Amino acid sequence: MKISRHAQENVASVLLLAFFAGVIVLCQDFGPRARMIPLPLAVFGIVLTLIQMAWHNFGSPEELQMDMISVQAPTIPAAETPAAPVKKPSRQGEAAAYGMIAVLLALTFAAGVMPAAFLFTAGYFMVTRYCSWRLSLVYAAVLTVSLYLLFVVALQMQPYHGLLAPLFQ
Amino acid sequence: MIEAILAGLTALLTPQALLFMLIGVVYGLVIGILPGLGGVVAMALLLPFTYGFETAATLALLLGAHIATIWGDSVTSILFSVPGSAKGLALCFDGYPMTKKGQAKRALAASATGALLGGIIGAIFLALCIPLIRPVILALGPSEYLMMALWGLTVIATFSEGSLMKGLTASVLGVLVAFIGMDVVTATPRFTFGSEFLMDGISFPVAMIGLFAVSEMMKLAIKGTPIVDRSLVKEESTVWQGVQDAFRHWWLVARSSLLGLWIGVLPGVGASVAGLAAYAQAVQTSKTPERFGKGAVEGVIAPDATMGANEGGGLMPTLAFGIPGGESMAILLVAFIGLGVVPGPDMLTKNLDLVFSMVWIIVIANIAVTVIGLGITPWLARLPSLQANLMVPIVLAVCFVGAYATRGHIEDVVVAAVFGIVGYLMDKYHYSRANFVIGMVLAVMIERNLHISLTLYGRDFLLERPIALAMLLFVLVTAALPFVRNWRRKRRQAAGAAAP
Repeated sequence: MKISRHAQENVASVLLLAFFAGVIVLCQDFGPRARMIPLPLAVFGIVLTLIQMAWHNFGSPEELQMDMISVQAPTIPAAETPAAPVKKPSRQGEAAAYGMIAVLLALTFAAGVMPAAFLFTAGYFMVTRYCSWRLSLVYAAVLTVSLYLLFVVALQMQPYHGLLAPLFQ
Repeated sequence: MIEAILAGLTALLTPQALLFMLIGVVYGLVIGILPGLGGVVAMALLLPFTYGFETAATLALLLGAHIATIWGDSVTSILFSVPGSAKGLALCFDGYPMTKKGQAKRALAASATGALLGGIIGAIFLALCIPLIRPVILALGPSEYLMMALWGLTVIATFSEGSLMKGLTASVLGVLVAFIGMDVVTATPRFTFGSEFLMDGISFPVAMIGLFAVSEMMKLAIKGTPIVDRSLVKEESTVWQGVQDAFRHWWLVARSSLLGLWIGVLPGVGASVAGLAAYAQAVQTSKTPERFGKGAVEGVIAPDATMGANEGGGLMPTLAFGIPGGESMAILLVAFIGLGVVPGPDMLTKNLDLVFSMVWIIVIANIAVTVIGLGITPWLARLPSLQANLMVPIVLAVCFVGAYATRGHIEDVVVAAVFGIVGYLMDKYHYSRANFVIGMVLAVMIERNLHISLTLYGRDFLLERPIALAMLLFVLVTAALPFVRNWRRKRRQAAGAAAP
C-alpha cells in the first residue's frame, strides 16, 4: 500500500500531537516550578502542530513557506550547484538504512563496541561488494585497530564488552 | 604592563612550552574532528598529564588543545554537515553547501583564517579590557542572561527551512528533550520513566552525533553516491581564495569577533550560542541574505571568527573572578588549582605575566592551528568525494564508538541510533534539525535564569532590571526588523504596481 506524501505529513503531525499530549500528561506529576516551562511549551507545540495541519490540509502550502532568510529576500535565486537528478528515496532503500542502524546497534550490544565496529564495516563492504572479502577484512581490521588505539589506549575509554562476552571468558 | 607582556611571551619561548603547545594543537585537531568529542573532553583528558611541568607549558598544552578543537569541529561541519559538537552547528548552514558546490578548500581556508583573526582580536581585547570588564560583568545577572538566551532563540526563525510552523515545532521538541533528566532548579526527575540513565539527561554530543552524523549516513546509504560527485562538481576553489575571503570581509570578522568576545565574557552562555548568534547577525546585516544557506562564505567566516574570539572572552571571568565562562574554562580552573594559581583580582596585579602568557598562547596556538589547517586543507577537501559504500560504515562505526566514549554508557549508543532515525525523519519532512539543537542548547539556560530571576526579583523582574528590559527590547526589535522590512517592501511593490 502506497501512502501519499500528503498523508505522511498528516501522520507525522498526529505523532507530534501524541508526543505533546504525552508531555502534558506527564507534567501533571511535577510540581508547579518543575512544569512551569514544559507544560505551556507542550501546549504551544500542540497549537503549532494544529496550525500546521490545518494549513497543510486546507490552506495554500506556499503560505507556510516562510523563514527569516526568505522574508529578507523574497526572490531567492535557484541554486547554482550542478545537481544530480533528484531521486526520491525508495522504500527498500529506507528499510535497508533502518536495518543497517538496527544491525549495528544489535552488534554493539551483543559483541561490544570494538568488535561491532569490525564486524559491521567488514560486513558492509562485503554485502555492498565494495571490495573483495579479503580486502574487506583488512580495511575493517585497520579501522578497528585505529579506533582501539585512539579511544582505548590514548583516550583511556573503558570498552563495553557486550552481552556475549561471558561466553568467551 | 609592557614588562608583563614581554614576561608572558618569554615564559612561552622555552622548548618545553613550545613542544607542549604543538602536541596540544595536533591532539586538539584530532579530537575536534572526532564526533562527540570537543574541547571539554580534550582538556579533561589532558589534565592528568599537566602536573609537574612548567606553568606556561601546562597552560600551552591545555589551551592549545582547546583552541585546536574549534577548527577541528568546523572541519566535519563543513565537509559532511556533521558538527563535532554544538559549537560547529552554525558551520553546517553554509559550509556544507560550499562543499557541495565544489568549494571545500575555500570554505576550510576561510574557516581557519576567520578563526585565526577572531582569536587574535579576542586576545587583544582580552589584554585591553581586563581592567574595564569587572564592573560590566558585575552589572549583569540572571535576568540579563535570560535575555541573551531569548536572543539566541530568535535565530530559530532564520533556520526554519521553509515552514516557520515546522521550524518552531522542531525547536519546541528540542527544548522538551533537553528537559529530560533531573530538573536543575527543583531536583525533580522529569520524563525519566524511572530510568537511572535518563536522570543524567540526554547527552548533548550524543544527540548531535545521532541527529547529524547518523542521519546523514542513512541518507548517503540510501542515495548510494558520494556527498560530492566529482563527475558533476569539480573542486575548483583554492585555499588562497578562502584566506582572501576572510580578509575581504574584515568588518564582518571584527563584528563577529567582538560578539564572540562579549558572549565569552558572560559566564555559562557558551560558544554554541556564540556561533549561532554570529550566523544570525551575518544574515541580518548582509545586503544579500538570499545567498545564505546556499554556500555564502560569510556564513562560514562569521561563526568561526566568533568562536575564535570567544576563548579570549571566556578567560576574563575565569581569571578575574574564578567564574568559569564555560565548561572548558571550568577545567582550566581545575588545572589552576593543580598549578597553585589562585584566580581573582591578584591575577590582574601580581600574576599579570601569567595572564599575558595565556593571551600569547591564544595568539600563537591560533597561528599554529591555521598554518597546519591550511596545510592539510587540500587533503581534507578530498574526503567528501569518497564513495558512499566506503564512507557509511566507517563513519557509522566511529560515531557509535564516539557516542559510547562520551560518557562510557552503552545506552548512549541507543540514544545516538534513535536520534539518527529521528534526524532522518525530521530532514525528510522538513522539520529543521538545527532548530531542534538550538532549542536543546538554550532550554536549560532559559529555565535556570527564569527561575533565578523570579526568585530574586519576583514576577516583575523586568521592571526591576532595566538592563534586561533594554535587552528584551533589543531582542524584539532585531526579531521584528526583517518582517517589518519585508512588509514595507511588499507595500512599496504593491504601490508601484498600482501606479499607472
